[in-house]
Amino acid sequence: MEAKRFNKVFFLEKINDIKRYIDLLEILVTRHLKVRYRGSILGVYWSLLNPLILTGVYTAIFGAAFSQYYNNSILNYCLAAFTGLVVVNFFSSCTAQTLLSIVNNGTLLNKIKIPISIFPVSIVFANLFHLIVGAVPLLIIFTLVTSSNILNALLLLFPLVSLNFVCLGIGLIVSSLYVFFRDLHYIYELIIFVLWISSPVFYPSEIVSDNIRPLLNLNPLVSIIQSLRQITLSGNTPDLSLVWSSFFSGIILVVLGLICFKTLYRKFIDLL
Amino acid sequence: MEVIRLDHVSLWRRTQEEFSYDLKKTILNLVQGRYRSPSKKQILNNIDLVIHQGEKVGIIGANGSGKSTLLKIICGIFTPTSGTVRVRGKIAPLIELGGGFEPEISVVDNIIFYGILLGFSKQEMKGKISSILEFAQLEEYAEIPVKALSSGMTARLGFSIATDVKPDILILDEVLSVGDAHFQSKSKQRMDQLWQANTTVLLVSHDLDFLQKTCNSAILLDKGNIKFIGSVHEAIKIYLE
Repeated sequence: MEAKRFNKVFFLEKINDIKRYIDLLEILVTRHLKVRYRGSILGVYWSLLNPLILTGVYTAIFGAAFSQYYNNSILNYCLAAFTGLVVVNFFSSCTAQTLLSIVNNGTLLNKIKIPISIFPVSIVFANLFHLIVGAVPLLIIFTLVTSSNILNALLLLFPLVSLNFVCLGIGLIVSSLYVFFRDLHYIYELIIFVLWISSPVFYPSEIVSDNIRPLLNLNPLVSIIQSLRQITLSGNTPDLSLVWSSFFSGIILVVLGLICFKTLYRKFIDLL
Repeated sequence: MEVIRLDHVSLWRRTQEEFSYDLKKTILNLVQGRYRSPSKKQILNNIDLVIHQGEKVGIIGANGSGKSTLLKIICGIFTPTSGTVRVRGKIAPLIELGGGFEPEISVVDNIIFYGILLGFSKQEMKGKISSILEFAQLEEYAEIPVKALSSGMTARLGFSIATDVKPDILILDEVLSVGDAHFQSKSKQRMDQLWQANTTVLLVSHDLDFLQKTCNSAILLDKGNIKFIGSVHEAIKIYLE
């Protein structure tokens, strides 16, 4: 009887915790967006500007050299570069912001009891919002034009969800480690650059020598970019093995991120 | 009714000054075999404490005796290294006012933000906006970003939010006195109301006269140990010796 009552109380408390977590998440995400877009006319579309400009630059410089790998079409190269850039750009800006998120809120964490994970998670959600209003409509249009099949557009969800899982996982890891190692952001810049250059964003993966190419698959962004391109640009039915492998890398990284965060978070408060 | 109960609570914390926050240095030290695991220091030692509903408890002690740490343990910011902490009811820490504001967003948004941090739902906070603005005398500033307010106005806003929430347990780290003469008398009235209501109050202060006037019991901390619990008068006497 007593145990039953205890269970009920425990359950109600859990529900309350979840409700509070959602409230906090909502308020932190809106705060983030409001701060970021205060007084800028283009608002959320700034986040699209970066990949668009870079696509132009890459097409101008590499388009002629690489278009032979894309059925001799500069337009195909341009679209491939854009889809790759959306992914890589999202990843680098999202995780770089997440890295700082726990340390930057250290003062607040020292004053009020707040679940620590809310800070990295809210950054990923805020970035997801940019992605949804910025690049996703364009990707949907590409998909509908090339395949004229609604199902393909729906399947776009999988590489995008995987991308966010990858960002969340890596974000949890780097934001946790940054509490202990405050020079991590210099090193992380280098890591981002390595991931950037090892993702076939502006070059076709065929130009990489056969010995090296399998190594590229260690980069979790590669399968996401491939899957996204296959769905948006090929016009064929989505390749489920690509979808699955991108999803798989996302799940693995989220689990790794959670394990890393769970083992470390009790030690954070002494160092904030 | 018991609202706060601490059983054998001890807390060890890592000392920050010895810690190298540096990956490069840590790796170098590891390579050269000079790495030491960070040292820890005992901040609270075997604290037993029971506080009942409606009690007003003052906490005194020298700097570094663990007063604020004790409050933070009760708030749940620190988890004790050993022992258990049980708290019944909603706690509102009167945190350093204005510390949690986001300067770029509007006063109203900050009210909601702050309230949710304190543990209220968005709906509840929406209902409180007008009374908070009115008490802070900031009705005309509702949509203005907080960075445009003067420091006195910001402090008034912080006070109004933190005291409007009517918590079961109020935690005060040093008493607040903010704003101009008019606002100070208003804020004093409000503190009196909170005091008279059945709120449990925990107060850290070096203002011994104020403690004597307002609290009905006191805790004297010395180097992380409870040296004395009981009447305010006696606690102060021991403390001054």
